[in-house]
Amino acid sequence: MATRHNKSSGGRSGHGAREPFRETVAGSVSAALAALGQLVGGLGTAVLALVGLGCLVLTAAASLAGVGLLFAPAVLRGLHALAGRERTRLARHGLDIVPPEPPPTRLRPALADATTRRETRWLLVHATFGLLLGLLGLLLPVVAVRDTAFPLLWPFAPEGSTSTSLGFGTADSWAEASVVSLLGVGWIAIVLGLGPGMARLQARPALRLLAAGPDTDLSLRVAELTATRAAALDAHAVELRRIERSLHDGTQNRLVTVTVLLGAARRMVARDPAGADEVLERAQSAAEQALAELRAVARGILPPVLSDRGLAGALSGLAANCAVPCRTDVDLPERCAASVEATAYFVVAEALTNIAKHSGATRATVTVRGRGGRLKLRVEDDGSGGADEAGGSGLSGIRRRIAAHDGVLRLTSPRGGPTLLEVDLPCGS
Amino acid sequence: MRIVMAEDDPLLREGLALLLRAESLDVVAKVGTADDVLDAIDTHRPDVAILDVRMPPTHTDEGIRAAVEARRRHPGLAVLVLSAYVEQSFATDLLTGGVGGLGYLLKERVGRVEEFLDALRRVADGGTAIDPEVVAQLFTRSRQDTRLERLSPRERDVLGLMAEGLGNSAIAGRLVVTDGAVHKHIRNIFAKLDLAPTQQVDRRVAAVLHYLENARRP
Repeated sequence: MATRHNKSSGGRSGHGAREPFRETVAGSVSAALAALGQLVGGLGTAVLALVGLGCLVLTAAASLAGVGLLFAPAVLRGLHALAGRERTRLARHGLDIVPPEPPPTRLRPALADATTRRETRWLLVHATFGLLLGLLGLLLPVVAVRDTAFPLLWPFAPEGSTSTSLGFGTADSWAEASVVSLLGVGWIAIVLGLGPGMARLQARPALRLLAAGPDTDLSLRVAELTATRAAALDAHAVELRRIERSLHDGTQNRLVTVTVLLGAARRMVARDPAGADEVLERAQSAAEQALAELRAVARGILPPVLSDRGLAGALSGLAANCAVPCRTDVDLPERCAASVEATAYFVVAEALTNIAKHSGATRATVTVRGRGGRLKLRVEDDGSGGADEAGGSGLSGIRRRIAAHDGVLRLTSPRGGPTLLEVDLPCGS
Repeated sequence: MRIVMAEDDPLLREGLALLLRAESLDVVAKVGTADDVLDAIDTHRPDVAILDVRMPPTHTDEGIRAAVEARRRHPGLAVLVLSAYVEQSFATDLLTGGVGGLGYLLKERVGRVEEFLDALRRVADGGTAIDPEVVAQLFTRSRQDTRLERLSPRERDVLGLMAEGLGNSAIAGRLVVTDGAVHKHIRNIFAKLDLAPTQQVDRRVAAVLHYLENARRP
């Protein structure tokens, strides 16, 4: 009674102290259950790994006789599939594994391939060590429940049978049966304490061997990304410089001209009103030019028509303004990143300008297709060909812009024509 | 006054020529590149050369380099440089050859015709015209200098106008005070900044600019 009283009086402070304890217990129980789930799941792939390992050894042995070579590709496919399955399984437990590039399927390159060899090493470890841990993950909870509940089972157990899961000792009385249940509590403690560690141990070979290795093509990819990123920054800097220049040397000069002419006009108003009016008119037209240049600069940054009408609308606008009759055929299921659409727009704008200026074509076609996260663009004309990137046609600027987006540009323009410009851009997001 | 002018923007070039001619100034040559202006200066021997900073081919500092080169070829040639924006390094490059007969102004100051003509005449007469914007930047950079803090607000105004290249009476006119008051302010400023007093305007400008230029390192 006194204890209960104490508890209730100290409830306010005691409540705060009990909560973390309860949370710790709940946390470790749920962690242990998750770990057991992961271990048993691992047991599944480990059994498959054991089967796969058997097939691999048999195939290798049979290959010595020549027959095995027939089965080798199938075994390799099975190995990759199993490795893939293990990656997906671990991803479900929150362990993300960056997969390597798909390994080659032909036998000879596959044998030399680092990915295949790493997967084989994983197969070996998982089929043995992983299998063992998986079995422990399955057995431990079973024996824990059996031993803990032993006092309840004891009366029904056959006379003289083994009482503990360890395989020795018999319980002949209630007291001895209770001691067995203490052993069960010990099992539970082991599951709670070691379960998560065992799960991590089982997953470790996969994390190490099934991820893209440091020696794989990832390094190539990084180098490529670094280069395109540098090109992107470069193209970006060139773009910013172009904008700065057109603002300073174009728009600002127009506005300075306006102030100069206004200043001159003010000085002339009294002594030569007619002259002043003429100067004012020049000032006004300079201001109008400043506005036109400002519009051009803004359009050069991001054409507003893109956000208003989408790429299809923007391109048909370009085609309509082209001196050469031009047909557009745009099939984009969804919109691409704004910078990608802007790039496509400027490519077409530059290409149509070149066609109108240099090609002597009588018609042109612009085709855009969006498939599998890529934007494919074709601009064709029936002109005289001979388009040359070095000829200052603005094509080199386009190529840099496309490279900055990780895309590819191909120009086919034999003398006598026709000219075909192909661009392949990742849609990005 | 005979003027050679270099500005690559044709509309602005015509506008400037129109304004100068309306003020009965003699524009003897107007060109669009730094090379052409050096030739024109050699040929016409003008009283003043008005140069734009950004000109072909690189549109960076052609005007500054042409100004330095022209003054090397013709010592004492008055040069007024017009710039789209203030760049401290341009000002420093220009001023290393001495401040006499030198101007560095933002382009839009031309629209305030009276002040512009005033600056142009000052430069042609061997004086100095430094844009208020340049002076303001110098003040900002030298704000850690403790000696500048000893100046009263009015004395700082006077120091700024001195740095722009204005003479005593012009400063008095701008601040609407008497010549005597300006004289007294200037004496105080030179004492507080430990500068040797001088009445010659261009030596005074050089001293003040040099002071502000170097005061930025605390």
